[in-house]
Amino acid sequence: MRAKFFVMIGTAILLAIAALYPLSGIKDYKSLNAKLTAAHIMHNADKPLSDFSLIDHNGDVFDNNSLMGSWSLVLFIYTHCPDVCPTELANMAMLKAQLENKHSAIIPKVVAITFDPIRDTPEVLKTYVSHFDKGFVGVSGDSQQIDQLVKDLGAYYERVVYDEAGKPITLKKNEPLPEDAIEKGYVINHTAIIYLISPNGQVLAGFPTPHKVSDMANDIELLTKVFEE
Amino acid sequence: MLKNMRVALFTLIALVSFTTVNAMTHAYQKSHDKQQLSITDPWIRSAPINAPALGLFMQITNNSDRDLRLTSAHVEGYQRVELHRTIDSNGMMKMVRQEFMPIPAHSKLHLKPGSWHIMLIKPDRVPSEGERVMVSLRFNDGSAQVIRASVRKGRMMIKHHSMD
Repeated sequence: MRAKFFVMIGTAILLAIAALYPLSGIKDYKSLNAKLTAAHIMHNADKPLSDFSLIDHNGDVFDNNSLMGSWSLVLFIYTHCPDVCPTELANMAMLKAQLENKHSAIIPKVVAITFDPIRDTPEVLKTYVSHFDKGFVGVSGDSQQIDQLVKDLGAYYERVVYDEAGKPITLKKNEPLPEDAIEKGYVINHTAIIYLISPNGQVLAGFPTPHKVSDMANDIELLTKVFEE
Repeated sequence: MLKNMRVALFTLIALVSFTTVNAMTHAYQKSHDKQQLSITDPWIRSAPINAPALGLFMQITNNSDRDLRLTSAHVEGYQRVELHRTIDSNGMMKMVRQEFMPIPAHSKLHLKPGSWHIMLIKPDRVPSEGERVMVSLRFNDGSAQVIRASVRKGRMMIKHHSMD
């Protein structure tokens, strides 16, 4: 009787593990990571994002729920960036076209979140981001909320102003912008990782520079296929 | 007799003049072919109509025996034009303003996305794809060049540690 009880308990535990196994995400990150060319699995891939609430370029709320239900590629940009950010957005447009040409089952939604909500309002982002692809979503909002998301994703940025002699001054994290910074201009040094987020809101993988679009497309196909199985 | 001498003199003067002009033209072409600095493929990346900053790129070849520097650029219709370089510092993309761009003797400086570039700031109007934009470049040897940059799409990979 006692033995039968333990067998039943053991079976129940095994069934519970089997049922929860797919929910634990993927299982063997190490071997999956080894197959990737352009991406790396995030070290905290199972950790959910903190709650955030931002505004998309149509003025609608963009929060954790906005990343649920479909695959997303998230990148940080700012519109006063003449070089890196437009290159990244152009690469994203090319990546989307490649996945479409390959008839990929999954084509992630591209979400561009600004590092610079003071200058990049939703209206500004709408015009800017749509230039690269009409389907891209620009996101702005409260700077503290953006900073939380930046931290959660392991991104980083710093604002740089110039003094009268033209010498660059890097502002500290929470240091306010000088009064004349908007008029005189400032640049932002930043990381340029592109994040792949699964339909359950899991920040699965990051694509550091260089962003070779064909390698990114292959990795996205591999990652989404494994996770959709 | 006098008439014959006049014709002969006129022919001689014409011949000397022609030879001189021909030699001068040849010398000019030769020097023109061997310009100290030559600019190839100048282009501006097409940008959204509200883009506050645009990137200008090109290749500058220094054919001379001395190191030269691009010291400034000017384009009408922009609040400022600055020389910049993007540097990938351990994954941090840094935008660094430059006082000049070095073009060593007998070598080439490639201004390209993710590397050296000229930043066109606050345009009166963002040029459309296909337009050609007049650009003036000044160098430290006192020379200047006026070129036309075409506006086009630029989809290029950002590379690690772009140094050239």
